[in-house]
Amino acid sequence: MTDALRYAGVTYSYPDAPSPALVEVDATIEHGAFALAIGPTGAGKSTLLRAANGLVPHFSGGAFAGHVVADGRDTREHAPRDLADVVAFVPQDAAASFVVDRVEDELAYGMENLGVDPRHMRRRVEEVLDLLDIAHLRDRSVRRISGGERQRVAIAAALAAGPRILVLDEPTSQLDPQGAEHVMAALQRLVHDHGITVLLAEHRLERVAGWVDVALGVDAGRVATGTPAEVIRTLAAGPPVARLGRLVGWEPVPLTVRDARARARAHGGAPGGDGDGHSRDSGDVLLAARGISARYGDTEVLHAVDLEIHQGEVLAVMGRNGAGKTTLLRVLAGVHDPARGAVATATGTPPRAGFDVALCPQEPERVLYGDTVEGEVRATLRARGATDAASPWLAALGIVPLASRHPRDVSAGQRLLVATAAVAATGAPVVLLDEPTRGLDPDTKDRLVRFLRAHAADGGAAVIATHDVELAAAAATRVVMLAGGEVIADGDPATVLGDSHVFAPQMTRVFGPGWLTPEQVAEAWA
Amino acid sequence: MNVAITPHAGPVTAPAADATRRTTWHPGAWILWSSFAGLCAFVTTDPVYLLLLWAVAWFVYTTHRVSEPTAASFRLFLIAGVVTLVLRTTLVVFGTIDLSSTAYAALEGLRLATILVVFGTFNAVTDPFGIVRLAPRRFHEPALAAALALSISPRMVSAVQRVREAQRLRGIRVAPLRSVPALAVPVLETGMEEALTLAESMDARGHGRGMRTRYRPQPWTAATILVVGSAATAFAMFLWASAAGWAELHPPTAPLGWPEAHPALLAAIALLAVPGFLRPGTASGHAERR
Repeated sequence: MTDALRYAGVTYSYPDAPSPALVEVDATIEHGAFALAIGPTGAGKSTLLRAANGLVPHFSGGAFAGHVVADGRDTREHAPRDLADVVAFVPQDAAASFVVDRVEDELAYGMENLGVDPRHMRRRVEEVLDLLDIAHLRDRSVRRISGGERQRVAIAAALAAGPRILVLDEPTSQLDPQGAEHVMAALQRLVHDHGITVLLAEHRLERVAGWVDVALGVDAGRVATGTPAEVIRTLAAGPPVARLGRLVGWEPVPLTVRDARARARAHGGAPGGDGDGHSRDSGDVLLAARGISARYGDTEVLHAVDLEIHQGEVLAVMGRNGAGKTTLLRVLAGVHDPARGAVATATGTPPRAGFDVALCPQEPERVLYGDTVEGEVRATLRARGATDAASPWLAALGIVPLASRHPRDVSAGQRLLVATAAVAATGAPVVLLDEPTRGLDPDTKDRLVRFLRAHAADGGAAVIATHDVELAAAAATRVVMLAGGEVIADGDPATVLGDSHVFAPQMTRVFGPGWLTPEQVAEAWA
Repeated sequence: MNVAITPHAGPVTAPAADATRRTTWHPGAWILWSSFAGLCAFVTTDPVYLLLLWAVAWFVYTTHRVSEPTAASFRLFLIAGVVTLVLRTTLVVFGTIDLSSTAYAALEGLRLATILVVFGTFNAVTDPFGIVRLAPRRFHEPALAAALALSISPRMVSAVQRVREAQRLRGIRVAPLRSVPALAVPVLETGMEEALTLAESMDARGHGRGMRTRYRPQPWTAATILVVGSAATAFAMFLWASAAGWAELHPPTAPLGWPEAHPALLAAIALLAVPGFLRPGTASGHAERR
């Protein structure tokens, strides 16, 4: 029997690229494997995934050497469409894959192309609607559903086509912890019960490391295959428990909370003290929202929200998909008018986007439209009449080497940093980040956290809307929890996150409330 | 403090949807309705009929528009219609200026503008790719090209909105008119990129393999047959009037005279408004079309 997916001597360069994106890749994924591609943003994971069904090089052009064989078919001889019955691909930007307007028709689109019997199609659509828990969306337009919902629809549409191999690029990036777990459980069921092969790329290893059985470590275009523990050990990446393992020298590094708990017991249990989390600053109020209610059409998305944002604060706004996080940020930035209530800056005026408040939207590419990374920042600076150089902003986010690159040609994580620089350069005291998710590898995350903390320490404030528990644990000085458009918790991270089953970070799960980051635990043990 | 979290991630915006009924009409009904309405406009320059056709197009659009980007694209067609009218009228200024030639040009312009507005309605009430799915296999590629072309205006509108918002978020204030060149490059770039991604996605999902089947084909319901039937009747009346001359379809411009409003043709235009009185599908479909 042939392997599900085989890369043999694959070296590939994008057109006009200075260096290859994939270098002599040899990797084999067996039928029925649940495989995970791990590696920093820009390492070549997306390219590796896109080569699985021939999108690379059939659509990307460039120089391709070697062979990729999917279920016995070489992508050299078979275009993506000829592999559509074998490989289904869910791209990073799920919305970009939608062809038809209505969710239910979108699910059927692939099957229609494959000539699946209409009766069978009807049944399969119902099955994937249930499997991904999206039956309530069937009549909606794909343009009018949330990011997390889109992601689930895209996965369902890929599955409906009945592929033997399913390739997913960051499939949980827009999902809340529960939604991500649901998707991972659904994928595992497909692997176990139906023998489907799954290959996915994901940065938030805490969500996926415990589910997969094979890992592909991708670093600067080179790929090494092994068990998840082996691969994670060789890369700087890893879920927080693995980082802790590395910090205190556990061998092999634990991958799940359960592993870590066993190791911690052997290590003598939780460190002394309570773990203090991050202290809460309460400087001057920079932005105050009073009694905010907001609606989209007939739906009330926020209800009577009071929120003050203080100088020196990094505030994490958390909550499940659809809780109203994005709307809250848009109201705070003055780009969505609340139905009731008002937002005021320190001087009592309504906030002006780009002046008092800088907002980086969920899709960072939305604010980028220039030719170069440096040009993006300079355009913002010029708009406020500043003659400063762009370089301090690039340096603050660690993207100086990208200065002359085209913003669309950098990796998803790098694009997020570029967009953050482009909006932060407005000089607005309050910086808002709406669900920074795609391409957020540990290194990018560190840069972002450092930037936000420095911005807050310089007398500003930062707000991140996120359902990424570990990001909140690492960055926030305060956490606000939204549910159904209302604030249901507001306090320091140790209390708010420690009190939650769903939103508890891994360190809290291992050591109890108060412990948020592996660095904090390692320090207490030292 | 107690953080209440329920395990199910239910979106707050989801309307309770009817699980069994489809909520849109057969796209063929819209193709035929708009063709007949456009042809009615084509055979006349009478401003009474033409302006009534504008009203009909608006009425049908408000009842049936699909979602926001297409709604914005209807406005675009409306603006294009007005611009056409103004341009066609003012072009006369470069020739001999007299009342009758200006009036003649204005009426010609109005006719063209009306066709544009009817097309705008068609664009706003249909999903272009729904039409691709409908096309017989042999016409698949031309239908795809047509769908891509049809989806350009809503795409452009959303691209403009996006770039505008990006400028706002970055504190870049550009006067509406001066922003046109600044917008053009990013909007075109975004549009190209989207088209490319779409082509990629369609290919990866097996488009063009040549053995298509159809999922839940939309039936020709009584309502859609009524719509097409009344639109066909309307056009037949105009055609008959044009051929037999029992009503004047082109008001005299030299010398200038009052336009006619024949009751039979007013009734014909009323027939074109039939879709505005019929709502497709169930109430659940409408929760979304707010």
